[in-house]
Amino acid sequence: MNAKAAKNLIIQNVFLCAAAIVITSCGTATFNKSGSNATIESLRSFELAFIDEFAVPGKRFNAAAFDAKVNEGNAKFQQAIANEKFTARRPVLVDLKSQFDADATHLRSKASRGKVTPALAAEMKKDVNKIYDHALGQQT
Amino acid sequence: MPSDNKRKRRKSSPKKSELDSALDQVGDESVAAAMKEFQDLLAQAKGDTAEQIRQNADELERRLVLLKNGEIDKEDFDFFVENQKRDLRVFIDSQPAQSQERAEKLTLKILEIAVTKVVPILIAMI
Repeated sequence: MNAKAAKNLIIQNVFLCAAAIVITSCGTATFNKSGSNATIESLRSFELAFIDEFAVPGKRFNAAAFDAKVNEGNAKFQQAIANEKFTARRPVLVDLKSQFDADATHLRSKASRGKVTPALAAEMKKDVNKIYDHALGQQT
Repeated sequence: MPSDNKRKRRKSSPKKSELDSALDQVGDESVAAAMKEFQDLLAQAKGDTAEQIRQNADELERRLVLLKNGEIDKEDFDFFVENQKRDLRVFIDSQPAQSQERAEKLTLKILEIAVTKVVPILIAMI
């Protein structure tokens, strides 16, 4: 093998290594993003189920069950925030946690006084879906 | 021809919304002026090119009608307005500097007028 052929081989190998790094890093980013999206979808399902369970007109308010569910939600959100590898995405999860806190406070106030209406439940779920759609849309 | 245009506009003008019909009943002149400003801003927002501005206007109108019909109360309405504001802040901050003022006018300002001027009128009508 002459010097020119050896040089070409080195350049080819460097190029192949660079391409492999780019491809694997893209794959990792996609994998992480889809993992993050799955976490957000899981939080959305939890919050919608929470509203379905407690925003029921005429249902007797069970404070212990309500608090247990709120604690479960808090733990889920905190774990999701702690597990998010990209710190830039954490504020999105923090915003979603703020929405959950606000929903829980309002729902407790209304359900404990028997003042839940079908329209309240429906509008709360619309807001949850909207904020989660925006969260999935704004992720970098 | 101006007269033709007028006729055309009148022909194509959409049917009044439930909210417009309620707000048009306001007799007091100073209050009626505020309602007119609100209705104009809401109409502008509903026709805006930005989806989030249109969505905010539609949500606000729907919830004002729910409030007027007694399907939600003022506590619920205020709660939903706070949700809308929280969501809008991210949207407004993401707009280019020159568009932020307009976006704010067609979102946060409308919500503010709704809470301070429109809601008391609607509650008085219940």
